[in-house]
Amino acid sequence: MASWFAHSAAVVVVLGLLPFGIGAFTAYQLALYFLYAIAALGVGLCWGRAGFLPLGQAMFVGLGGYLAGLSLIHFKDSALLVLLLPLAAILPGVLAFGLGLILFRGRRESGPYFALITLALSLLAFQIANGWNSVTGGFNGLKGIPALPGLDDYSHAYWISAAALAAAIIGTSWLLRAPLGVVWRAIAQNERRAAFLGFDVARAKATLFGISGVLGGVAGALYAPQQNLVTPQLVGFTLSAELVIWAAVGGRGSLYGPILGAIVIGLLTAELRDRLPYWEVLLAVIFIVVVRWVPQGLVGLVAPVIARLRRSERRKLIPVPPRPPAARGATLAFDGVSAHAGSVQILDALSVAVDDTGITCLIGPNGAGKTSCFNALTGELPVTAGTVRFDGRAITSFTPTAVTRLGVARKFQIPNVFPGLGVADNINLALWGSRAQPRQLLNPSLHGWRSPLLEDLARRYPFLAEGDRLAGDLSHGERQILELAMALAMEPRLLLLDEPCAGLSPAETRAVIEVIRWAKSRLAAAIVIIEHDMSLVKELADHVLVLHQGRLLAAGNVAEVQANPAVRAVYAGGTK
Amino acid sequence: MDALVVAQLLNVVYGIAILAVLALGLAIVFGFLGVLNIAHGELVMLGAYSAWVVQSAGLPFPVAVPLALLACGLLGWALEVGLIRPLYARPFDTLLATWGVSLLLRKSAEAVWGLGYKSLTVPVPGSADVFGASYPRYRLLLILACLACVGALAVWFLRSGTGTRIKAMVANSELAQAVGIRTDRLARNTFVAGCALAGLGGVMVAPLTPVHPFMGIDYILESFFVLVVGGLGSLTGLLAGAGIIGGFGSIVSAISDRTAGYTTVLIIAIVFLWLRPRGLLVRP
Amino acid sequence: MQNRSITRRGFVAGATALVAAPAIVRHARGADPFKLGLFYAASGPAALFGPTQKASAELAVEQINKSGGIMGRQIQLFLADAGGPPAESTKTAVRLMLNEKCDAFIGSHDSATREALVATIRARIPYIYTPIYEGGECAPNTYVLADTPDQQVRPSIELLTKEKGVKSVYLIGNDYVWPRKTNDRVKQYLTAGGGKVIGEEYVPLGAPNKFEEAVTRIKGAKPDAVVVTLVGADNVNFNRTFAGFGLDKDILRASMLLEENTLLGIGAENSKQLYNCMSYFSTVPGAAHDEFKAAYKAKFGEKAPQLSIIGVDCYAGVYCAKALVEKAKGTDASALMAASEGLEIRTATGPVTMRNRHPDKPMYLAECEATTFKIIKTFEGVKSGETCKQA
Repeated sequence: MASWFAHSAAVVVVLGLLPFGIGAFTAYQLALYFLYAIAALGVGLCWGRAGFLPLGQAMFVGLGGYLAGLSLIHFKDSALLVLLLPLAAILPGVLAFGLGLILFRGRRESGPYFALITLALSLLAFQIANGWNSVTGGFNGLKGIPALPGLDDYSHAYWISAAALAAAIIGTSWLLRAPLGVVWRAIAQNERRAAFLGFDVARAKATLFGISGVLGGVAGALYAPQQNLVTPQLVGFTLSAELVIWAAVGGRGSLYGPILGAIVIGLLTAELRDRLPYWEVLLAVIFIVVVRWVPQGLVGLVAPVIARLRRSERRKLIPVPPRPPAARGATLAFDGVSAHAGSVQILDALSVAVDDTGITCLIGPNGAGKTSCFNALTGELPVTAGTVRFDGRAITSFTPTAVTRLGVARKFQIPNVFPGLGVADNINLALWGSRAQPRQLLNPSLHGWRSPLLEDLARRYPFLAEGDRLAGDLSHGERQILELAMALAMEPRLLLLDEPCAGLSPAETRAVIEVIRWAKSRLAAAIVIIEHDMSLVKELADHVLVLHQGRLLAAGNVAEVQANPAVRAVYAGGTK
Repeated sequence: MDALVVAQLLNVVYGIAILAVLALGLAIVFGFLGVLNIAHGELVMLGAYSAWVVQSAGLPFPVAVPLALLACGLLGWALEVGLIRPLYARPFDTLLATWGVSLLLRKSAEAVWGLGYKSLTVPVPGSADVFGASYPRYRLLLILACLACVGALAVWFLRSGTGTRIKAMVANSELAQAVGIRTDRLARNTFVAGCALAGLGGVMVAPLTPVHPFMGIDYILESFFVLVVGGLGSLTGLLAGAGIIGGFGSIVSAISDRTAGYTTVLIIAIVFLWLRPRGLLVRP
Repeated sequence: MQNRSITRRGFVAGATALVAAPAIVRHARGADPFKLGLFYAASGPAALFGPTQKASAELAVEQINKSGGIMGRQIQLFLADAGGPPAESTKTAVRLMLNEKCDAFIGSHDSATREALVATIRARIPYIYTPIYEGGECAPNTYVLADTPDQQVRPSIELLTKEKGVKSVYLIGNDYVWPRKTNDRVKQYLTAGGGKVIGEEYVPLGAPNKFEEAVTRIKGAKPDAVVVTLVGADNVNFNRTFAGFGLDKDILRASMLLEENTLLGIGAENSKQLYNCMSYFSTVPGAAHDEFKAAYKAKFGEKAPQLSIIGVDCYAGVYCAKALVEKAKGTDASALMAASEGLEIRTATGPVTMRNRHPDKPMYLAECEATTFKIIKTFEGVKSGETCKQA
């Protein structure tokens, strides 16, 4: 917290003193580039933090510009401007948020498709701006836009832009330090895991897109009174492309990267354009060099130095808000559930029931449909017939996030954590996903949440306390335990474990078995484990369900199942 | 009016065919290798300039075909080795890298040939009578050439061993390597082939459009939209995408005007990107 | 009219007031260079014309400097790229006015940039705008050398209706203000000449346009002539497609912005029955033009940039600055504006006279012959049709 204040103060001081060092004309030039920097910051955030690239940022800049321009022209000197101008900046963000919700819902990875959609939308916006002569002034643009009332001096231009840039930097740095910033990075690394921790991934991404839309809108809304002219070029693809280039060259993942990129490259372009005949070639070469050899951008060159200077923050530790203690674990029932992928029938009118007592093991030969059971339950496999019931309530068409929020935690077969985040962040995400209200994600004090359950676990596995160690640097076994810890941290009512001991050494396997037993005693949860290793099943299982070709073959305790002739036949390679 | 309808229908067919051939190179590079090659338009431009060079030298027009294939293929080889190879798994980075390359190519073309429009004479002038409508011979020839080209490539891809190896590499690169397929060489050759085909498209359109360093920009966006609508990784997808984008664009342009046609193309692309991001004909 | 109360831009007002005052003092001393800023298309969509613009301006500067400069002051030319967004050009304008203390600007670029510059310059220094445009620029201390629709359209349409017996016309152009204003004039003169418009369509500017459908539509409509207000690559593309479909045999074409580069792109086989009316072609006859061409070739050699109306207009722009300042004996805005009325300006093809801050100029009607323009008729002293008041 203290460092955030210090950082913000430094930003204000630097921007405040800058014009006295560089002269009035350069300050006036910077006024324009500060606005571009704000827009580029939006691009850098989406791309560098959350992993999706908006190729149409100029659409929001232009929209802010046209709205502000029209407001200033029609409501000049009116008090309504106090309302209209901020609205001109915010509406693009609202539009971006809405677009994000539509585009991100139900889509797992955005990939290049999101980029292409935003590109197509911005081309469409350009055609509208170009063609709608009566409103936008067409190709020649909206002209004669008056300056902001009372702020019509040229020297004011720098202060207005600098104030906006400072606000953007300060606001963004807060966001990035807040839990929401960690959530975005998590989504960029592993969307599936984030959904399974209870985060509404689509809404989180849409929120970031909305924020970048607001940044674009602010840039546009301040551009209009500064330049007195808004042309369709402000909406066009060239500006969008430049914003992406500036963010890339400056360093898309960092706060200052896009800003420095916009200012440095923008100024360089303005200087070279009149003096050097082939300045575009120089820019292209810089660009290729950065993309190919310095992917973190200019900021990436100095990042190691900065990292060394920064110490990890000491946080006030606060106990995590408790979940209402569950009296018992959940009950789970499949009523005639069928699912298929293409022509292959995966689940065939499967009917099973899991009650809340003890550990249930789900076994069966390969392809029996065990993992598919989990997938159907958690909303990843579309169910074509039948109902899945959780505590008697039908959850058949729920999304993974919704199912998780009911109190279901799932551990995947291959350790599914956030490799680029530290151990502490991984665990915190598990805590936040299950307990934090969306608004709380803006509160940095959430970084200090500690769960007594996990502290117990950390006593057994000291590496869980090494908060700064990257999850990607852990060994396979450590990652399995980390993921298990995250699942337990959610204090779920139904714990789904998919081959929790896969790939572990005998010693590690023993450790995991102990954890599972310990979890059974600490949590009031129903535990379902998919396992192949019969020795494990014998150790842990209170009940066993045998699946075969998408159907329930046998159910009972271990002895009963082992004695079952049908089960034997299937495992010994008899009937198919 | 009947002749008019026939002529507009031929326009639609021409629009689809030419779009298919122009997007072909990108279909290969983007569809199989996942490389967002923004410089694809500039490769088309180079192919067009090859045709101009050949015609200015007084040589017969068909000589432009091997010249363009060679020039663009070599350039593709240089690009792959120098820039693209480490970026295969990262579509955004290939987007950025090829962006810079496209800028350089435009500037190089400007330095060599200047910014002026070059004009080529149509190798097969005059019009032919098709069902009562008079339609330019060269365009009719192009329609046949495009279909032949795409068809031949499709047949080769389905039947040949290399085609199967490419499919294996795309489906599971590590496994392909494990069974002995030289994926690095295969990827490089695939990329080179995609670039060379872009040049071929340029040779085809050169007599019909103004040839200048900025012409590539017109082709790149439509090519991407064709691919995302039709589905990546298959030639039938390419044809489907060309059919939809080219077809709707032409039909709306014919009925209404060019602005409506262009807007329709954009809206269709947006809708497809949103609802069926994997395209119409998804690779199973 | 523009808002004259200069409450904002105090910065520019203050700075350029300081600039303007010493300029008058400097003139008396006569040793300081006359600083001329040239805004031209060094990059961007019109970069095709950049080399010609620069070369023509440099030629004029060299000639004037050899004969003593402007009121004894040697011209110093400052080049500024106007090919980017208007915001970039306005920043450069401020830099040139403030840091370099430029005395005048010449601009050869699109209207959006012009309007941005007019708003920035605020009549503090003279601003001369040179390329073809849609008319209507009456800002103070702004002088236009461009062809207006009134000048271009009337000779073309009269040729079509009176000499070629054209009755029905199809209009096709890019969708922005210049083609639309031009087409308004076309309709006006067409109806006066007894013709009518049977089709009108616009294609988006900046989109990848194909013209097969439009050409087929035109074929079905069977007009006697087509008036083309497309620009750039669209103009080339349309004309090639038009001729490719064989329509050039029966249907005349009149293009409004067709200069040498575009004609080269269209190609010799596709330029039959194609007419144009502008104030400059490289084949305009006359002693003044021959002299200009000789000087141009002498300075730049065989590889000289292609002569074209967008480019050569900068030559006239520099001479306009000289004529204005010398007649007004200084750079005071009201003196310049008073001096501009009836001012004779030297251009590449001979003198033109300025009225209402627009020139009355000779217009040349040309027919395309392979890849050159054959001048078939000359109209002397065509009025611009603009009615800018003396401010």
